Amino acid sequence: MIAAIALVAYALAVAVTLPRFLRGAAWTARAPRLAIAFWQAASVSIVGALVLAGLVLALPTASLAGGLAGVLHSCEMAIREAYASAGGLALTSTGMVLAGTVAARTMWCLTAALARASRLRTHHRAVLRMVGRPSAALRATIVDTPAAAAYCLPGRSRDIVLTTGALRALSNEQLDAVLAHEHAHLRGRHHLVIAASQALLNAFPRVPLFAIACGEIGRLLEMLADDAAARQSDRTMVATALVALADAQTPAAALAAGGPSALSRVRRLLAPADPLGRARTAGGFCLVAVALLAPILIAVAPAGAAIGMSWCSTPDSHTSSASAATTLSERAPA
Amino acid sequence: MRDFGQLEAQVMERLWAAGRPVTVRTVYEELAAERKIAYTTVMTVLDKLHRKGWLLREMIDRAYVYAPVRSREAYSADLMREALSHSHNSPGTLAAFLDQLTVAEARQLRTALDEAARRPARKQPGKRASS
Repeated sequence: MIAAIALVAYALAVAVTLPRFLRGAAWTARAPRLAIAFWQAASVSIVGALVLAGLVLALPTASLAGGLAGVLHSCEMAIREAYASAGGLALTSTGMVLAGTVAARTMWCLTAALARASRLRTHHRAVLRMVGRPSAALRATIVDTPAAAAYCLPGRSRDIVLTTGALRALSNEQLDAVLAHEHAHLRGRHHLVIAASQALLNAFPRVPLFAIACGEIGRLLEMLADDAAARQSDRTMVATALVALADAQTPAAALAAGGPSALSRVRRLLAPADPLGRARTAGGFCLVAVALLAPILIAVAPAGAAIGMSWCSTPDSHTSSASAATTLSERAPA
Repeated sequence: MRDFGQLEAQVMERLWAAGRPVTVRTVYEELAAERKIAYTTVMTVLDKLHRKGWLLREMIDRAYVYAPVRSREAYSADLMREALSHSHNSPGTLAAFLDQLTVAEARQLRTALDEAARRPARKQPGKRASS
């Protein structure tokens, strides 16, 4: 019971505090991969903590003394005891409902998001096959249209698409930088990261963290790909490629989707690279691991305490705990 | 069946280039001039494209006549629209290098680049100074 409360409290704490620390923090631009890991770990641990809270309520912790037989015996007893009282039953069913709905909703939204994304890409690819010309030299598909655009189509056949408008707007080096950026997206399978974050947002729209994470992860993935492209050419080249494409674009109506992010990308690339440093990055990933493990540790803490007590107990107290168990079964209402 | 996809693309190419409705025979003769292909294959491809919704079909003088449903430019524009708008949050996640910008936003980018170019070149001064 305490474990369940602790787990829910943990989930709430993460959901409320993490955006405050993470969103717009300066260090995230210096270590985008670490920042993405934080957002992902936060999302996973919130969902995990809620499911575990439900499980802990539904399956009261059994004493792990006395080997497997002891576990099953005390499990059965604990369940019987839980179902025996009305309060126990209410708690158990609440736990099952909580764990069940959170887990089911998450899985459903994940599969739905992946399926929908795949469908849309398949349709896009079918049109691309007809309208585009493959270019062996660039290892990309060229679409003859004045709009200056470069994008990648992830999935089983990883395509990169360039328009003739983009080819006209970019120099050879700028084109190399753009291709490197898109290859980074494909190699890193970033479309799966985005799909997962969107799925959680769809599953639990009322949790602000999931909405914020979606936007932040998108931004950070672009920084990651920019860094990969910069490693192949250089930062200024990637920045000039962005500006060249922007200049060549036919401007959108007022409701553009990605405006502010492009400016911050250019500014970030034009400033000298300033990575976070190995020590702090390693420390950050340790924190990520802690965030992921914390719900599990909280959930098994009572059982761990029980093991500890039974290990430390003398043979006398061991038999007395067994007899206490039998007395319990005698006392259990028919 | 990847060859078939390529063949379909080539046939669509001919249809778009023709600029007017064409018969199976016309397409066959054009293709046969460049490669070894059977008349029935051309017929099958055209029929398939019609069934997939790429081509319109009419019976004129007891022969089928095919025409593209839309122009190539229309399809290209659709592709771009899908790829560029909301690409980061689009379900297909097409991951555009640069999303659509407004005029003001594009100008801001250009300004940032020009400003950086005007700044005197520095060699990581902060790091040197602190170490």
